[in-house]
Amino acid sequence: MAVGAPATRAARPRTLRDARAAYGTNAELAWWVFMRISGFLLVFLTFAHLFANNILMNAGEIDYDYVASRLAQPAVRVLDSFLLGLALLHGTNGLRYVVDDYFRRPQARFWIKAVLFTVVGALFVVGVMTLWTFTFDEMGDAIRNLGQ
Amino acid sequence: MYRGREGQWAFYLHRISGVALALYLLLHVFDISLVMWGPDGPFNRFLIFYHQWPFRVGLVLIMAGVVYHALNGLRIILLDFTPWAIRYQRAMWYGVLGLTAAIGIPVLFKVIPEIIGGA
Repeated sequence: MAVGAPATRAARPRTLRDARAAYGTNAELAWWVFMRISGFLLVFLTFAHLFANNILMNAGEIDYDYVASRLAQPAVRVLDSFLLGLALLHGTNGLRYVVDDYFRRPQARFWIKAVLFTVVGALFVVGVMTLWTFTFDEMGDAIRNLGQ
Repeated sequence: MYRGREGQWAFYLHRISGVALALYLLLHVFDISLVMWGPDGPFNRFLIFYHQWPFRVGLVLIMAGVVYHALNGLRIILLDFTPWAIRYQRAMWYGVLGLTAAIGIPVLFKVIPEIIGGA
């Protein structure tokens, strides 16, 4: 191990009791619990998403009109919004674990996470814009309607 | 490599599939966001590029990753929240692999003809 290597976290707890003992009530325990709850919900959200877009549909024929027909359905917008938010949080936290496991230099850890969180934050905003306004034209209409 | 038995492989597959899915998710949010440029925007051109067979095969691998990661995630939840599951962790991992195949193989019968058909 390199001299001066940061104190990497010990192996993550394997049971809820271990997690409580290791973390008390801090943020890491909350993330540990979040990964299990979001993971459970994501099983249903992703399976439904894949079934609709890859089984009921030929994924090779997806085009603008198909996406438009999907996003015209309020239920799709709501479910895909949950999918977007939960999957981005679950995936980003998972990548954070991976960075913590494999990168030892503090500077490397900091910059990789800084870039990761920035990209994910930007993509979340872009994703919400896509799901709820769909096109820039509609976005303009929505903003103009707010002023009336 | 740590001991190299089933639990180790379950962990590696979970981690590799998880990283792949997270990176795919970032790309996927970006490419769907191209619809904001409207019907004459870059979306359709971008999608035609992704409809080439190497990317369709990649999508099949992503779907396999989703199914494995989801089912093994349920196994992890059982291990964490029940007192009995740890005794069956090895059997449950083979169950995860079996269920992944049971779900995945019918999907292959649906998707491979689409890819060969050159949609």
